Amino acid sequence: MATEPESETDFRADASLRWRQFKGRLFVGLLVLSTLIGVLSLVALFIVIGSDALGLAAVFWWAPAPIIGRIPLPFSEWLLLYLGALVAPISAYTLYIRQDGARQAVNAKSFTAVFGFLTLAAVVFAIGDAVRPHDIAIYAVFISVALGSVLGYRHRYGSNHLTGPAIPVSVLVGIAVARILYGPINGAIAILANWILFVLITTVPAAAALGYLSAQRYSRGTGIATAGLVTIGAGIAVAGTLPQGIDPSLWVVLVSIFVAPVAFVTVDTIKTRSSGRIGLIGPWLLAGSIAVAATAERALGIHGLESWLTPTLITTSWNGVAPEQAGVYPQIVGSILIVGTMALLAFPVGIGAAIYLEEYAPSSGLGGTVTTIVDVNISNLAGVPSVVYGLLGLSLFQNFFNLAPIHVGPVTVTPETFGLAPNIVLAAAVTLGFLILPIVIVSSQEALRSVPDAHRQASYGLGASRWQTVRNVVIPEAVPGILTGTILALGRAIGETAPLVMLGVATTTYSSPEGLFGSATALPLQVFNSATNAIPEYRTGVVAAASIVLLVLMLLMNATAIVIRNRYENN
Amino acid sequence: MSNRQSNPLQRDAAAVRKERLYRYLLAGCALLTLLITGGIVFSLLGKAIGFFTQVSIVAYLTGSNWSPLIGEPAYGVLPLISGTLIVTVVSAAIALPIGLAIAVYLSEYASPRVRSILKPALEILAAVPTVIYGYFALVHITPFIDGFLPLSLTILPATLPVVPEFTLVIPSLRTFNALSAGIVVGLIILPMVSSISEDAINSVPDSLRNAAYGLGSTKFDVSTKVVIPAATSGIVSSYVLAISRAIGETMAVTIAAGSNPKMPYYPDVLMNLTDSIQTITAAIVQIAGAETRTGTLLDSMFALGITLFAMTLLMNILAELVRRHYREEYN
Repeated sequence: MATEPESETDFRADASLRWRQFKGRLFVGLLVLSTLIGVLSLVALFIVIGSDALGLAAVFWWAPAPIIGRIPLPFSEWLLLYLGALVAPISAYTLYIRQDGARQAVNAKSFTAVFGFLTLAAVVFAIGDAVRPHDIAIYAVFISVALGSVLGYRHRYGSNHLTGPAIPVSVLVGIAVARILYGPINGAIAILANWILFVLITTVPAAAALGYLSAQRYSRGTGIATAGLVTIGAGIAVAGTLPQGIDPSLWVVLVSIFVAPVAFVTVDTIKTRSSGRIGLIGPWLLAGSIAVAATAERALGIHGLESWLTPTLITTSWNGVAPEQAGVYPQIVGSILIVGTMALLAFPVGIGAAIYLEEYAPSSGLGGTVTTIVDVNISNLAGVPSVVYGLLGLSLFQNFFNLAPIHVGPVTVTPETFGLAPNIVLAAAVTLGFLILPIVIVSSQEALRSVPDAHRQASYGLGASRWQTVRNVVIPEAVPGILTGTILALGRAIGETAPLVMLGVATTTYSSPEGLFGSATALPLQVFNSATNAIPEYRTGVVAAASIVLLVLMLLMNATAIVIRNRYENN
Repeated sequence: MSNRQSNPLQRDAAAVRKERLYRYLLAGCALLTLLITGGIVFSLLGKAIGFFTQVSIVAYLTGSNWSPLIGEPAYGVLPLISGTLIVTVVSAAIALPIGLAIAVYLSEYASPRVRSILKPALEILAAVPTVIYGYFALVHITPFIDGFLPLSLTILPATLPVVPEFTLVIPSLRTFNALSAGIVVGLIILPMVSSISEDAINSVPDSLRNAAYGLGSTKFDVSTKVVIPAATSGIVSSYVLAISRAIGETMAVTIAAGSNPKMPYYPDVLMNLTDSIQTITAAIVQIAGAETRTGTLLDSMFALGITLFAMTLLMNILAELVRRHYREEYN
């Protein structure tokens, strides 16, 4: 066979082949280019927000002129310092950890425990501080008494057909009784200092939970010792701060929810793991490196970046005059409170609807038609714009869909009769709950659908009823999928702005919401309001830093979803 | 022996009651979604009807002036619809081709490793709050693009004697403009197009691809002449859903596109992109943020809401119909 084209026909075939190859390559090139555009715009978004927040905006030639004055160039000394003190040790440690699976596992566990409990402690303290620990304590005591009596009954006399439904009912009864008795009890305990109540709502449960865990793992004696150690720790926190006139609340919460659980996880890992214990130091190495670098920066007088992402931003309230003093602490607490309440309201309903549609709903006859309508309706709801949900919430909480005032004999009922208004935390939570309900339902349906039918049949074959099958077979298998989907919905909800604007939720408030019926505020609203601020420092600096905080909250939720999914998949 | 034990397979009455209780509770959760739709329609219609008794529906639908807050209030919705469409067209021009290309690349060409990196990245693109996109557009995209403007492009060189010279002039961008808002809305809907289209392309059975290869097709031929046509229904429905999302997008356009309702420029078509506009959603947000929101002003918000609801509902139904009607069944 000759390699060269022998006749004109062959030559033409060869040319056409080349043309086809060229077309194919061009097509792949276009596809790769498109994909790169998609990915690079994400990278560009993060780079510009990050550099704005860190005060690096001058690297962009289009940045507003006044910002450039803030950049202390050259900051090569600063870069060297951070490379040496932070980047180098962390990189070396990461490389070392990655060599071994056991180390990696311990390292991941340690990071999750340290930063997870730190976040939890911060959230508990912020919310307790905002809504008064007294209120939380009153409701917690009544709910746990009601719930405890049902659980105790079940433990003593065995489960009967009513103990299951009695659990949520008892919680509601607890809330109702607490609400009725709230006035006198609050009057009686109002004189108690905050920290005493924080001991009640954090130290007591932490000591009980950790004591129970170590009693299960080791022995009864160890359990009692653990609970005692937690209590002593909280006592030391109080003794160390109170005489100096410092409010011990924060320290009590930190000891109970951060120090004690992390110590427990650490000791437990050392006792149970034979290899890879070195992974435990990971988070402390990171925190220590940052501390060393920051101290050295101060001590050597090196001028680094003038970052907008400062402790001031996340611990103080807004300042409309001095951008350096502006903070978004009340907005962060507001967002967490709204999203948390929303999760409590929307998740049970959404998961319940998904269970009904997947496990119970008839597929033929009149019931089948209703099922189809509900299904189509859910996919339509998922496409309804978020402003429209805002209008729904406004209409519901302003005047009960234009029905209020309702006259019942001499009583006139309006939303205010129940303490409701469109701009309170509860209204915002319910409105966002409506918004994410379709997402929760659809993702839970997918999770339920992935449970193999054979498992259901096996359960029925053993004589289990429909609900027993759902409860003992289907739900446990679908939990990772359900959790992943629902937590992603949380991430969506925390960034939603339009419905809150419609409800008239306040943007710039100087204190956190005081409870479910307190006036709400949220972080994305502050971003919205300041993005068009006339002063460029707000527009590019503070807004970027607040956006980073918002993104971190969102990514934290996504990370939680991933951690939960991985954990269940490993088991 | 008591009667209860006559049939060991019979559950006792309490167990049956419990089963029924759970069934009703769960069905209640599912029916709540119908109540939400009912609530939306009821609340929007209630106020919108009140609005249309004060402003005639014809004047609303055909009016070319929207200024509810300044001077003599005028409630003509056409400028807002025009603004919404301009943003939607820009975003669709970006997201539809790029989204489809990403979907084809991920499902037909990318290695599993590349896929496992790119897919979560695109999901993050969808998860970023839209206020942040608004800030991104206003503070970065607009000044960036404006750095290249104004631009005059001479399409035909003056050396040709017969054809008159034609110069395309692109003016500078306003601080608030439809172009950068449209670009970020395009980014917001991009992951939607790529993920739904990718699902559609993945559901094309391999036997079709193998048959085409057997007939001597190249990979390019298979992708463009077999896979994409076979997945058309899914791709089109992803397009319609994405456009519906773009119509309803609120915060990014409110921040970046401004609040300047106006009828489209003609023949200076490019002015529509570079000038500030207002969308339906942005108008609703503007009224919600007004000092006093009572009477006709408050009701107009709900009239706009039902306009928006009707537009997106039509698009969603259209998407569903496309998916059902043109679906190719492979079994």
